[in-house]
This record gives sequence, C-alpha cells and structure tokens, in this order.
Amino acid sequence: MTNVSQSTAAAPALIKPAEIRSPEIVDPVYRQIRDLVYKVSGIYKADEKLYLLVDGCGRRLKALSLKTSKEYWDQLTAQPGRDGELRHLLNEITIGETCLFRSQPQLDALRKVILPQIVAEKTKQVTKRLRIWSAGCSTGEEPYTLAMNMLEESEGLLKGWTVEILATDLNDRSIETAKAGVYGDYATRSTTEYFKRKYFVADDKKLQVRPEVKKLINFNRLNLQDDSRMLFMKGMDLIFCCNVLIYFDGASKSKVINHFFTNLNFGGYFFLGTSESLMKLNDQFHLVHFPGTIAYWKPSLSSGKL
Amino acid sequence: MTTPIAATIQERVQHIETMPAIPAVFLPLLKMLGNSSEEVKVDEVVRLVSYDNTIAAQCLRVASSPLFGLAQLPKSIKSAVISLGLRRVETILLTCCLGQAFPAEKWALDPEAFWRHSLGCAMVCRKFSERLSGVDGEKAYMAGLLHDIGFMVNCLVFPKEFAAVMKRACDEEVSLYETEFQGMGFTHCETGRALAEKWKLADEIVEVIACHHSVELSQKAQPLVAVVHLSDLLCRMRGLGYGYYERQMVDLMSDPAWTVLLKEHRELEGVDLARFTFELDESVEEIHTLVATVFGAKPGKTQTAAV
Repeated sequence: MTNVSQSTAAAPALIKPAEIRSPEIVDPVYRQIRDLVYKVSGIYKADEKLYLLVDGCGRRLKALSLKTSKEYWDQLTAQPGRDGELRHLLNEITIGETCLFRSQPQLDALRKVILPQIVAEKTKQVTKRLRIWSAGCSTGEEPYTLAMNMLEESEGLLKGWTVEILATDLNDRSIETAKAGVYGDYATRSTTEYFKRKYFVADDKKLQVRPEVKKLINFNRLNLQDDSRMLFMKGMDLIFCCNVLIYFDGASKSKVINHFFTNLNFGGYFFLGTSESLMKLNDQFHLVHFPGTIAYWKPSLSSGKL
Repeated sequence: MTTPIAATIQERVQHIETMPAIPAVFLPLLKMLGNSSEEVKVDEVVRLVSYDNTIAAQCLRVASSPLFGLAQLPKSIKSAVISLGLRRVETILLTCCLGQAFPAEKWALDPEAFWRHSLGCAMVCRKFSERLSGVDGEKAYMAGLLHDIGFMVNCLVFPKEFAAVMKRACDEEVSLYETEFQGMGFTHCETGRALAEKWKLADEIVEVIACHHSVELSQKAQPLVAVVHLSDLLCRMRGLGYGYYERQMVDLMSDPAWTVLLKEHRELEGVDLARFTFELDESVEEIHTLVATVFGAKPGKTQTAAV
C-alpha cells in the first residue's frame, strides 16, 4: 500500500453519464407471457430477445383490436379461445426462424464434435452409413443446410460414407416447395458466398439448390402423431425438430419425444430450435451442451450413462 | 506441494513482487472479507475505497448494472452499501480491483476474454447457489471470480511456456487445462494455488482454485468446488470462455460434480437446466458491455502495487 496517493492522482475519469444505459422498461405483463409461453411450449425468449415476443404480441393485439397488454393476457388465459390464441402467438414468435444456415453453433457442434464422435464409434461397422432426419422440415431450408454441410465433409471425415437425409413435414404444400429448392434473399440471408457459389445455381432472381445436394435428401409427408408410421423411422443418428413440438399438447408431445428417442441409435443426438427445450418431458435423454447450443443425447452403449 | 515442479512454481510465485496494476486496496479488502463484524466494516470499507477514485467510480458503475441489481447509479459507496448490502458491495469492489489487472503489455491469454470468463463464472456461481439452500451466494461469487487466477500467474511467471500452451489449445480447439498439462506438466490450478496461498486467501477459496478441475480432490469445500466447476463449464459453453472454440460436449448432469452436489442438495433435481442456460444468456451481453466499458484495456497504465 505504498502508492495509494499516486493511484488517486492517476485515476482516469471512467464514468461518463452518457455511457450509462437506462434500464430498459419492459411491461411486466410480457414477462408473464414469456413464462406462460415457456410452460406450454418450452420456448424461452431471453431478455435480449424479448422484443420478438413483444412484437409478436403487438401484431396479435392489432389483429384482435385490443388496446392493452392486460387485455391480451386475459385473451391468452381465459377460455374459450385460449388454446387457439396461444397457437397464433407461437406462430408469430417462431415465424421467420426458418432460413438456410439458421444456427451456426448447431452446425459447428455437428461438424466439429458430433461427426468425429459418430465416425469413431461406427468405425468397426461394415456399412458406413449416416442417417439424419429433419422432422418438420417445412420448406426445406434445414435439410438442405444439413446436406451441404455433409457434402463439405465428403472428402474428409465422411469419405467412403453414405449419407441419407430424411425430410418430413405434415404439410403437402411445404413438401412441394421444399422439393423445388428455390430460395430468395430472405431465406439465404445467412448463407455465405462460398456456399452460394458451390451449391446453388441462379434461378431468375433467386437461387436454386444444385441436384447433387437434392440427391442426398428424401422428402416425404409424415404426421408425427401417426404412431404406426413413427415406428418405422428407425436407425437415426441425428434428428432435428425445430419449432414443431410447440404445437403439440403435453401428452402428445411426450409421445412424439418417446418415438424420437426410440428412433435414434445409441449415441445419437436430438436437436430442437435455438431457444427451445424439452423441459422435463423426458428423462431418458441427456441434456448436453456444445459451444453456443444445447442438444439431447441418447447415451452410447460404451458411455455407461444409459 | 513437494514435487520438484511444485517447488519451482512456489519459488517463482514467491518472487512476483508486483502484479500489474492490482490496486493497493485489494489485499486489505480481501482480508476484511474474511473477518470482523458488519458495523466496523462499513466505515472501514468506505475509508479504504476513498483512497482510490478509480475503484470507487468503477464500483458505482458496476453496482448500477442490471447484473448487480441497482436501477440507478448510486451517489456514493455508502449509499450503495445501504441499497445492496455490505457483502454485495465488497464483492463488487473485489471485482473492480481484479479488473484493474489488465496489463499494458500483451498477455498470452486475451485479458478481456479472461476477465469476461471470471466475471461470468462469478455471476453463474451466485445464480446457481440461489437454487441451493444454505449456500452463501456472495462467497460463491467470490469463488467464481478468483477460480482462474492461476492464468494470471502463468502469463506473468511462465509467459513463454504458457503462450505455447495457449496457441496449441486454440489451434487444436481443446481445453487449456489439457494443453497446460501436456505442455508444462502443471496447470493454472497449481500456479493459482501458490498465489492464493501467498495472498493468504481463505482455505475454501484456495481449494476452489486448486481443485476446480478435479472436484474429487477437494476435502473441505466439495460443494463450493462443485458449483464453480459446473459454472465454469457452463460459461465456456455459452460464449464466456477463453475466446476460442472448444470442441467439447458437456454433460453437466452426468458430471461427478453434479453427483457430489446432489448428495447434499436434493433440490438440484428441481433445476430446469435448459431454462437456467437460457437465462444465463441474458447476462452474456451485459457482461461483454461491462468488461468493455469499465475494465477495458486502458493504454499506458503503469500503476503497480506490491502484493
């Protein structure tokens, strides 16, 4: 403590009033709505993304000609119409989340951590086959993103491997759009020039996915609640199901999740949307972390964690 | 610590006469955190801080961050103590003191990343302990804040060796702990421990620093060490790591530390880990802002204090 006076003299002026951000004022009703949304859907909009929820509610208020957030809260919680309104709101807050390369942390986890793991585990098997299922693929952005990333590995980790991507959706029209594989600026906003040049051809002002990417994917219509068909979706290494389960009620959600667990190989992974979680709907999956993303893991036989 | 390596570390650490820019109030403050009654301490803390305008100003700014709970900039240290309580203000002061340790010269480990990780881990430790009954949140905060001080020692005392270790970790995207062990034969746990002992930190904190990568070695403070271990991992997975990608899958609930903690805290079973993770994300941006605006590298800082 010899130079106390010196440090006082040398103290820089650190606090400038302009730098101090006033705490954002969020109507507490929106935090209530956030908790409700989490409880029914597992989607959590953290504070920095709360504006998405506020915007979504705003659009619903307008559509319903309501004036205050409190009136909207009543609409969301009082019968009749409660369930219908929740569905509308979930639609609003998940809209625009589909685009190619939606979640880079998921793709990084896939290529940097998961693939090496799966390849190592399957190294003794005769047929080197990787099966991926995009469940609720909507208009195809997710399976194409996965296919392109797998093709990037085809000369490396996945050399000599067969990759099969199964893409399913309930909606026939979405499937048709997905098969066409034509995307505009909005859907390709996160796609780098490298991928655009390598895997797309220009189609008017849009971009069309090249045939070699399409070749990896099998598009099919499937209702996730169709138990008899779900039983046949066996042998998956990875399942992606983004913002789909939110539309199911508790019981059917658990059932679908159980199907996914059964359909996965040991050591396989199940991915949800970026801010989506399973809450406590299933105690067989292990919630695991990768840098910037979470996933659910069906422990491998060798891990001793089953 | 009787191995030859341990002796070398201890010897070198004993010879660090100065730490870059650690404010003079730091050690007296650390000592005070350990003892004496509340009434005496308020005046004592206010008196100590009054010697250092920088620390006082930073403390008020940090106290007004959403992370620490005041909506407005408090007018004085005393009014901050009144609104937040003495212990919270003490931990904030400690945070500011360590934040001053930004070196003028380049470190092998990016000081801002190191700092974000320490502050982030401190926050998560506190948040974690709020879910557990009978765990002191401010102590957990302090443990999180100090758990990696061994990296500071590495940068200062073993700059060349540690730079190579750091480079390898970044290139291979593996954990620093792993490359430290392979490249130097010892880790920040040992060097941190030597500094913690030199500073005469409380036994529990020394154990946290020494054992946060191997919870089973902890003897007196296992639950606290476990909290720090889990928070450390979680931070590294949520953008508060050391500034590079770590190829790693983390299964917190199967971690031995989770089992250790569960033994004493059944309430851990009720924690919704996914939601806990999403809530942590809310703090990440604020931690970045705080570190950049309050503790950001200040050119030409040469102030040093004997430790």
